[in-house]
Amino acid sequence: MTLAPGPDERADSEPPDVPGFRTWRGLYLFVFGWFVLVLALLTMFTAIFS
Amino acid sequence: MNVADWIVLLGTLVGIAAYAAWRTRHIRSLNTYLRGSTSTGWGTIGLSVMATQASAITFLSIPGQGFESGIGFVQNYFGLPLALIIVCAVFLPMYRRLNVYTAYEFLGQRFDEKTRLLGAGLFLLQRGLAAGVTIYAPAIIISTVLGWRLDLVIVFTGLLVIIYTVTGGSEAVALTHKWQMTMISAGMVTAFVVLLLRLPDGLGFTGAAHVAGALGKLQAVDFSLDPSRRYTVWTGVFGGLFLSLSYFGTDQSQVQRYIGGASLRDGRLGLMFNAVLKIPMQFVILLIGALLFVFYQFAPHPVFFNQAEWSRHARDSRFAALEARHASALAQSQSAIRAWLEARGSDDAAHEASARAAMVAANDRADAIRAEARAAIAAADPRAKTKDSDYVFITFILTELPHGTIGLLVGVMFAAALSSKAAELAALGTTTTIDLWRHVRPLAAADERRNVRVARRFTAMWGIVAVAFALFAGFAENLIEAINILGSIFYGVLLGLFLVAFFLRRVGGSAVFFAAVAAEALVIVMYFSLNIGYLWYNIIGCAACVAFSLALQAVLPPRARADEGRAG
Repeated sequence: MTLAPGPDERADSEPPDVPGFRTWRGLYLFVFGWFVLVLALLTMFTAIFS
Repeated sequence: MNVADWIVLLGTLVGIAAYAAWRTRHIRSLNTYLRGSTSTGWGTIGLSVMATQASAITFLSIPGQGFESGIGFVQNYFGLPLALIIVCAVFLPMYRRLNVYTAYEFLGQRFDEKTRLLGAGLFLLQRGLAAGVTIYAPAIIISTVLGWRLDLVIVFTGLLVIIYTVTGGSEAVALTHKWQMTMISAGMVTAFVVLLLRLPDGLGFTGAAHVAGALGKLQAVDFSLDPSRRYTVWTGVFGGLFLSLSYFGTDQSQVQRYIGGASLRDGRLGLMFNAVLKIPMQFVILLIGALLFVFYQFAPHPVFFNQAEWSRHARDSRFAALEARHASALAQSQSAIRAWLEARGSDDAAHEASARAAMVAANDRADAIRAEARAAIAAADPRAKTKDSDYVFITFILTELPHGTIGLLVGVMFAAALSSKAAELAALGTTTTIDLWRHVRPLAAADERRNVRVARRFTAMWGIVAVAFALFAGFAENLIEAINILGSIFYGVLLGLFLVAFFLRRVGGSAVFFAAVAAEALVIVMYFSLNIGYLWYNIIGCAACVAFSLALQAVLPPRARADEGRAG
């Protein structure tokens, strides 16, 4: 049996070409970190105004 | 609306549509027609993905949601950034590597033709049946408030979107999305600024936020584990992840937005643009609703915001008495809010607490009268539309904004309707052309011009179906909920097919095909025999498809498995 293809290996070796980020993994971590920050800010917003 | 409003409204809507149709009128390549220009950058892709998701209902209903229930609905979007990271890392590189036009073409390459047709069929069935709703839902609200004829609004919106989508395909859709999102952003910022300026003197944003918070409108996050609560951080992260993954990863109307473009990098950055901005954007729209709530504590407003519906039924003294009681309760609520604001400034905590309790009680009394008004309308006519929160923001726009900006904001609602409709039509036309027509007529695929002509005809056909359905929809009750239920019945199994394709590499075509059919049958049987919330069918359908695939792959005879996993 032949296996189905995985995501393009080369895709992750190409840099995102965004200042400050050398890899896509770094960019994904940044976006995840941004989500955590937004969640923290919304929690603070709730605590201040509710 | 005066002449200035009409000039802004028609100028922006028709101008954007005409510009896109003119710019893309010479498209002769199927690749450009279906995937857009090969030079499209990440900014346009990002705005196009955003515009596809943001329908007119987003800008009509979500402020109403903030007004009525507070901003907790923002938690529904918590799974979206995580889902987009998965789409960027797994789905998008595969779609580009296999150079597919549709997500269902990928299923054909990964499994077999029957699985591809099943995926495309589920999408066409679900989106095709929902085709009229994206035109009908905002048209009914706008025509009611402005007193315009519903059928004319539907036909105008439908024709406009058909003209530019059929002319320029995916490239015209991306081009219009860019300008429509710019217009929508300008309109919403204008509405937000005017709202802040219209708040009572001395209150300001902070004061208004404290009032809204004290009255329970600003609880953005809820970490409760109580399963009966509709919006919590947990339902948002887990349920939202699941829903966003199925929408962004497998729905052709979204896949088509990011599958083309200049490079894989541009598609990924466009999606990350949405991952970063979506939650803040929804927060601001909900916050507008919460601030509208504070604004209307100090400004006279009707007991029921859908005044057209109210006028139809409010013909006896009972309704007049409700209006009088509401005005009186509003005055008491206003005094209680001012008393609490004064008490907050003092150092007397006990006084502040009692003033706060009095304010909440006064607000509850006003809310109870609004609930009575809804019950009175329902008693007068059981078929009457008793949900008026969708009319709050449009009422504010029409009564409080200066002329010119009224046209801009009404234009925002139409632009949002056009943007989501255009992406939907392009996706339906593309899937019909690529997954059905080219499957039946493979030899015709060599003739580029003929392919483009066929794609244009299918796109136009779906546009006409959508307009016809929207015109007919006025006779159906609870149509939007019916469409949502239908979506939940099919979406789960569709996502299950893709999850098996991406993550269970040893499962082959026959196993996943029969598993999907069995899972769909299970969902339909459960729907007719159980009484559970319809959103659960998304999870049930997906889980059943994955589990059945694994089980069938294990028991299928070796010969049946030999032709599986061909795409490797």
